[in-house]
Amino acid sequence: MNHHEGMGLLERRYRAILRLLPASYRAEREEEMVAAFMEMSGEVPDEVNPRPRWGEIASVLALSTRVRLGGAGATPGQVARGEAVRLVALLGMGTLAAFATAGLIRVAGYGAELSVAGAPESAERLSFIGDLAASVLSILAFVTIMRGHVRAAKAAALLGLVPTLGYAVLPLVLDGTDRFAPLQDVANLAFVLLPPLALLIGFHGGVAPRRRPWALALAPVAAGAALTGVTMLLIAADATEPLWYFLWLDHGAAVPVWAAASVVVLARRRSPSWALALSATGLVLLATRLPLLDTLPDALWPTVAVQCALLGTLAVATGGAGVRAISQGPTPAPVRP
Amino acid sequence: MNMTEPMVLALTALVDEPRHGYGIVQEVDRLSEGRVQLKIGTLYGVLDRLSGAGLVALDREEAQQGRLRRYYRLTDEGARALQEEAARMAATAATATARLRTRTAGGAA
Repeated sequence: MNHHEGMGLLERRYRAILRLLPASYRAEREEEMVAAFMEMSGEVPDEVNPRPRWGEIASVLALSTRVRLGGAGATPGQVARGEAVRLVALLGMGTLAAFATAGLIRVAGYGAELSVAGAPESAERLSFIGDLAASVLSILAFVTIMRGHVRAAKAAALLGLVPTLGYAVLPLVLDGTDRFAPLQDVANLAFVLLPPLALLIGFHGGVAPRRRPWALALAPVAAGAALTGVTMLLIAADATEPLWYFLWLDHGAAVPVWAAASVVVLARRRSPSWALALSATGLVLLATRLPLLDTLPDALWPTVAVQCALLGTLAVATGGAGVRAISQGPTPAPVRP
Repeated sequence: MNMTEPMVLALTALVDEPRHGYGIVQEVDRLSEGRVQLKIGTLYGVLDRLSGAGLVALDREEAQQGRLRRYYRLTDEGARALQEEAARMAATAATATARLRTRTAGGAA
């Protein structure tokens, strides 16, 4: 017998909307929720083509996001995935904050002499200022989320997306797709967009904010300052050879830190959330390094190849470990990212 | 636990008697004089969180015209949590009222 036989159009449509929810949640709640929807709507004949209200659809979508990302009512696997998304947000925002600090210190050192600052009132100057604002906002977003201020962190992350999107999308609109390098541009966009997006959806209302020590909240700022210090020392000492040094001082600086964290997580086999988060962030880093194999001179090729091999191997290993741990049932005591 | 307004209103709706999902929506609407109209997705998110914290519990299940109704009741822990939240809100309201009185008195002087 057809399950939908005898059901009105509105009920079928509500049930279709409820398919947004995870199957495990639906098995527990669907009948009760349909009853509530139908009681709210009253009997409506199919002839008037009744549709669920947009507000109700949005509320089910929000509930679905919360449950899938470890909110109340989630399964252990969903809890682990939610923690992984929040860790992606923290690791990614921390990385962005470190590079933003390095960039701001460079600008403070060179001031308006930087050629990238552009002429006053030019589009380049506007883009330069937007970039500075995005840097400050990414540091602010990281520090505030680490101190447990979720709303402030989300506001800073959201505002920071505006110049970032402008910076990334405007050239495509103005110049067309001629200059679009698929992997490089998509990877760079993922590098700057993924952490704030993970922050916005991962830290939902069902997650209790956690206040971490100031030392951790400010660690990326210290790391960014140290990175700039080393770079400036090398330049001041005229130690510009061999050039491969510098492939460990740009985004490549994140590779050894990430690799060390991955090895620790693989060795301890404790948390599927950490393994999944490191795998995801590693794949994004890998995507930003891979195109360099095509564009850099031959002398630098081995360094980038080593970085890519490290990232690829460990990202697959951590991803595999995370997926296995979740599929093997009950997860260990959750880390609270 | 960070208690949001819909959570406080849902708890308040369960003080006098157990209610089912749509019953809570209607009571919250009455309590807030139409200001808060819970969406069904929001209601179940709120119920999940309150149940998870042990503040509400399933009271009974009934079938009404072939449809499932689950009734929820306020637990003792839920009553305590609501009382604490009400005291906190009352203290905040009292402080605000006192300061406004001082401001009015200062303006009149």
